[in-house]
Amino acid sequence: MSPVGEVDQRVLEFANVVGASDPVTVVGGRTQWAVGGTPEPGTREVRAPIGIWSHEPEEMTVRCGAGTTLGELTEQLARHGQMVPFDMAPEATVGGVLSVGHSGLRRLRYGHIRDLVLQIRHIDHSGQIVSSGGPTVKNVSGYDLCRLMVGSLGKFGCIAEVTLRCLPIPAVTRWFTGFLDPFEIFNQMYRPSAILWDGNQVWVCIEGVVSDVAAQASLFDFEEVTGPPSLPTAGRLTVEPKELRGHAQKPGERWIAEVGVGVIHTDCVAPHRTISDVNLSLMKDLEDRLDPNNRLNPGRQVLVR
Amino acid sequence: MKNIPIDLPIPTEDLVSCVSCGLCLPHCPTYRVTQEESASPRGRIALMKQAHHEGAINEEFVEFIDSCIQCRGCETACPAGVQFGSMMETTREALATQTRYQPWWARLGYRALGWRKALRVGSTVIGIMQRLRLVPRRLGLPPIPILQRSLIPSGSDVWLFTGCIMDAWMRDTHRAVQRVLESTGAGVAFPDKRASCCGALHVHAGLAPEARRLALRTMQAFPGTAPILVDSAGCGAQLKDYGHLLGTDSARLFSERVLDVHEWLAQHLDDLPKKSGLSPRIVVQDPCHLRHVQRSHESVYKVLGRYVETVSLDDDGLCCGAGGAYSTFHPQIASDVRDRKIQAIEETDAQEVASANPGCLLHLRSGGLEVRHPLEIVDALITKDE
Amino acid sequence: MVHKSADEKLLSDLRSFLGDRARDGDFELGLYSKDGSVLKGDPMIVCLPIDTEEVQQIVLACRKHDRPFLARGSGTGLAGGAVPVGDPVVIATAKMNKILDVDIDNRIAWVEPGVLNLDLSRELSPLGFHFAPDPSSQQVCSIGGNVANNSGGPHCLAYGVTSAHVAAVEVVLPDGRVTLLGDLTPESPGYDLRGLFIGSEGTMGIATKVAVRLTPNPPEVRTLLLDFADVRDGAAAVSSIIAAGLIPAALEMMDQRAIEIVEAFVNAGYPTEADAVLLVELDGLPGGVEHGVEVVRAVAEHHQVGSVRVAADDAERALLWKGRKNAFGAVARIKPDYYLHDTVVPRGKLVEVLEKVYQIADAYDLIAVNVFHAGDGNLHPILAYDADEKGVLERVQAAGRAIVTASIEAGGVLSGEHGIGLEKRDYMGMLFSAHDMATQDLVREALDPDGFANPLKVLPSGSRCSDSFGQHVPDGAWV
Repeated sequence: MSPVGEVDQRVLEFANVVGASDPVTVVGGRTQWAVGGTPEPGTREVRAPIGIWSHEPEEMTVRCGAGTTLGELTEQLARHGQMVPFDMAPEATVGGVLSVGHSGLRRLRYGHIRDLVLQIRHIDHSGQIVSSGGPTVKNVSGYDLCRLMVGSLGKFGCIAEVTLRCLPIPAVTRWFTGFLDPFEIFNQMYRPSAILWDGNQVWVCIEGVVSDVAAQASLFDFEEVTGPPSLPTAGRLTVEPKELRGHAQKPGERWIAEVGVGVIHTDCVAPHRTISDVNLSLMKDLEDRLDPNNRLNPGRQVLVR
Repeated sequence: MKNIPIDLPIPTEDLVSCVSCGLCLPHCPTYRVTQEESASPRGRIALMKQAHHEGAINEEFVEFIDSCIQCRGCETACPAGVQFGSMMETTREALATQTRYQPWWARLGYRALGWRKALRVGSTVIGIMQRLRLVPRRLGLPPIPILQRSLIPSGSDVWLFTGCIMDAWMRDTHRAVQRVLESTGAGVAFPDKRASCCGALHVHAGLAPEARRLALRTMQAFPGTAPILVDSAGCGAQLKDYGHLLGTDSARLFSERVLDVHEWLAQHLDDLPKKSGLSPRIVVQDPCHLRHVQRSHESVYKVLGRYVETVSLDDDGLCCGAGGAYSTFHPQIASDVRDRKIQAIEETDAQEVASANPGCLLHLRSGGLEVRHPLEIVDALITKDE
Repeated sequence: MVHKSADEKLLSDLRSFLGDRARDGDFELGLYSKDGSVLKGDPMIVCLPIDTEEVQQIVLACRKHDRPFLARGSGTGLAGGAVPVGDPVVIATAKMNKILDVDIDNRIAWVEPGVLNLDLSRELSPLGFHFAPDPSSQQVCSIGGNVANNSGGPHCLAYGVTSAHVAAVEVVLPDGRVTLLGDLTPESPGYDLRGLFIGSEGTMGIATKVAVRLTPNPPEVRTLLLDFADVRDGAAAVSSIIAAGLIPAALEMMDQRAIEIVEAFVNAGYPTEADAVLLVELDGLPGGVEHGVEVVRAVAEHHQVGSVRVAADDAERALLWKGRKNAFGAVARIKPDYYLHDTVVPRGKLVEVLEKVYQIADAYDLIAVNVFHAGDGNLHPILAYDADEKGVLERVQAAGRAIVTASIEAGGVLSGEHGIGLEKRDYMGMLFSAHDMATQDLVREALDPDGFANPLKVLPSGSRCSDSFGQHVPDGAWV
């Protein structure tokens, strides 16, 4: 049995489109287009295959083209009571969200989106298909290139196809708000889905069966709201969860932090974080090996030099 | 270089019964303090396999085999039921009979254990030297009595085994045990000098022929059919193993009569006096030979629990490092192992420690803990009530 | 046993800073020649470092003398990942076993790689937390080993595997540099080298400190034991539970032979007459747990369950789990040796693949015992045998290959949690194309260009040209 034989026709076609020579970038929903900078002028734009190719509810896995929008994915999965908790704009694509690699709003409960990725097929710099991971919900066969692809901004290849792990949609999802100490909530509540905080007001997402959600919500003086507040989009900082406490004192900006996670959404531009010399050398080496001619997403940068 | 020829008579099926899964490692006290494969049950069996296969050993092998405390905590942890203890005993016997393992002075020391008069004279000398402050405290010896009052029998319902070191150094414990037994209405008989030593330490040291000689002699000291009660977990385990050690029907019958004193009392709980007054919190240290070998440590909790609030340790019954003569020959490892036990004990808020094995008791005491035999604690509470 | 004489200069270099913790005794080397698998190698020297600096010095000394090395944790791996081939120096990290810091505000614990998985969770328990990955060997397996293999365990069904629970790893790279991969922030800058390193089976360096995430202990836990007169009903119930929208904390299956040997060890009242049992654990808040119990009961009844036993207390729960977690070792009660695979198949194919496993075992005149993580389709078909039986090894290997083939044909993968190691590297071609593997090797080389770290593991020889210690799995490796 040849593993290559299983590859979907649409992936093969995408490989041809990507080709092996000129500079190329994959366009998704353009919802996070500026992350890492925009591609150099003249870079050829390609679109990844679209469509949900298989969703097996009892396996809780879904295989789709990387160009599939989250909106389509969400709708399809919801028909079977399932979800992939990416929590991004519906017009964003699966491949785009993974390439950027930012976690979703409910990370506190569901973890980083990279942990939902089971298999990725991408087209490498030479126009060849590379499969990594596997289609099952658990797998340690071979090196974990999937995790490397998440957050790589397409510098290692053009994601063509993705298999994701699905989760059951909880019985209820409720948002609550109050003027409370978010760290107290973090310490007392059992696995809330999100705790947002703007330095003053707190929003909490609690999910589960009705009785549990009610009991958790009753621990604090909350008022129910329809959903999370709108998040500032200019900058995204990541700090150690406990450093959020200190962030409370900073005046002059509007920000909303994910408590327990350490992500801060702010209306100011976030400073670049530095990478240690050793790690930078390893990462550059990876770039040189996986894209020797710098044709994948030229201009866009994961590594700030 | 493996330059010492050896014939290790362990049956192949015993050796291969270990699949080297490693689940025994955390339950081995010497692995716990060294984290070295050579100090683990899995490692020691692998050593035996190598020696069995190649028919030759060296000093390295002897050192690794000798580092085992023989607590047999690995046996209760082993999902495959590997008989580690008997493999280790066979290996040590092969070393003692075929190599220079156990020098003459050690053999002489072991010999003296079975010789009541020698032990008594020796103990008296040590006792006098202690009072003259001639015995270094680091040896961790308890205060040894110079004169011992005799034990006075009170009937023939049960035998109480008296042993060697315990009889020479801790006769007061026997007396307390006797009082607790009598409180149930039972009359207690004591064996004559033929039951001078059970032979456990000899088996551990690989001196099985000496152990068999002691076993034959000991058996003669318990005529009749009355239960033979033992207040030392190590001795009890050994007496229960006579059937296996000697392989005779009479030995098997003898072993069937043997009970740890707590086992017997647990069967007679209703005959024990009622408790009154406050219950102190006592942490129970499970002697390995009660928990892993006799597998009857629960009876201590049943008996003691009638009078005090018992606290158990959550260390899976890991050994305290005493191991009979082990702490004398391997003071460093024994002390490292004990540190873990002391830490576990100190994490409880218990007021005192109960240990049903004299070796453990003395070893823990020399580590600075307040330790008594469970039945000494019970005796004190009953006597106070009276 | 004959092994090559140790490189005296390397040994004396190592002794200059390790003292007697660099070993080359004949017997002791033999002890580090094996892990929990059926494979055996031949170490050159065994080192027992106590800190990062010593590991770094060992690696530098090995580089100086052109000698490969491999890290070893508790030696419980089942795929030969820690079996020394290519005459390496074994770096046993067992003595590096300190919990360095518990940082509750960040929900992180910094630990050394030799800390045992269960010791960590026990230490965290009074604080209300645990480390979620719980391999069956958790009482002895080390965190370093968990990182190397991206280990799973029964509770990974709901909580995810090691990679999701490790924020950062301090690594001694194969060239001797020390670096921190990942950090305590939610997204460390640059590429996810941490994610790449976890599960790389020691071929990209040696973990010397690990920042593990702390998972809060669930307020409510319920453990159910379901027995079935037909293993197919049990397997079908697994799919139905998941399809009902429930993800239990754990969902384990044991077949009749497994039940028997496990019961002989734990005396937990496992129904030895049943064809299969499911061990289902639900945890979380009380309402969700109660709902889960109802769903499981309804599904089980639909699939002709014999009885549903709910563990009455923590002690009963612990006893049931003790049985499950000791099952592999207990196989020795049937035969002295065992060989197992850990393929994962789609849950919907469990019945089909299980039946094939029994057929294959019959065809090769072997005994199959099945005890596995049914919830995520992670099979553990155990073939019990006696290595002294003539010709049995060939039969076992052939049967193993047939089981792997059947699993892959059913849409599965080679390994769910044990790793590829030495044992399965020659199977990699069943799952990956030559180009897939060449790409993986290209990535590995970015961290270890000269192939010094744990040579001959994970990828088959010849994946690329640079396999500097190139040789096949030694023929004598099977024991």
